[in-house]
Amino acid sequence: MALDAFPPGLSPEDQIEPLACGRDAADVWDHAADGVPDEHERSCPHCAAAIADARGLDGIVHRMADEVPPPPPSLVDTVMEAVLNTVTAELRPQDLLALYSPAGPARLSRPAAARVLRHVVDRMDGMRARSCRIEQDGLALSVAITVTARFGVDLASVTARVRQMVVAAGKQALGTPVARVDITVVDLWEER
Amino acid sequence: MSVLHVGDRVVARVAARAARAVPGVVALRPDLTQALLGIAGTVFGQERGPLSADGASAVVEGGHAEVSLTVVARLGHNCRDLAAAVQRAVTAEVAAYTGLDVLVRVTIADVLIEGPRSGGP
Repeated sequence: MALDAFPPGLSPEDQIEPLACGRDAADVWDHAADGVPDEHERSCPHCAAAIADARGLDGIVHRMADEVPPPPPSLVDTVMEAVLNTVTAELRPQDLLALYSPAGPARLSRPAAARVLRHVVDRMDGMRARSCRIEQDGLALSVAITVTARFGVDLASVTARVRQMVVAAGKQALGTPVARVDITVVDLWEER
Repeated sequence: MSVLHVGDRVVARVAARAARAVPGVVALRPDLTQALLGIAGTVFGQERGPLSADGASAVVEGGHAEVSLTVVARLGHNCRDLAAAVQRAVTAEVAAYTGLDVLVRVTIADVLIEGPRSGGP
């Protein structure tokens, strides 16, 4: 995928937390993408959750890209949007992350990047994102994310699943390497 | 001999038009002044046509122009690739139309997460 396009030395390197079964989530994602899950991955619930995460991100990224653009806003929408923009959209320099571009200076709103990462975690089975803080060193991001989990979700796999999702979303949706992901499970919820 | 000078506004309009045509760009986001002018224009019934420079500004000096663009992207388009695509499209379009050498700064101010619902109810 597009990771090759990063400048050298920026691929996410980290102490990688395995899934509860001991497998590496990135490997499981790769096998799922290639359509060659092995014997263990086909039967293991932890690997199944990781594979579902991968399909979820794929669905989000590609479905959104394929959707037709919304029709032009009506007059009222235009006015309302302009007013809201006036009030809320003044970006401060500290709210911006640098994007790698050979074609000139490129930046991305930090709150928008955090919203994207929270969104992909929200779409994972049994997980909801609460807060997401992003720091940048060079181009690489450090992400600190707090999540709540559905009661019964295997907490031992949460770190590996969320980390893999955030790293993949950084690569695919933002285009910026994620070097570090700190995950805190702050609460549990029960589905009725 | 005569010399053609191209104004800031011309470059901004060409840049905005080129940027809006890049797949994954939902809209350009106006800055404070442009937003207020836009509101005034709407109230007084002024059309803001396809050549609106909202979200783009440019400074021309000699044969060189610096363009700043603020865009809203759609989730699913890689932000880094989108920014580079906007820079390339705008550089090419402004150079082709005005002959100026251009530096393009792109800021992705927002990423649209929820698109229109696909399909009917």
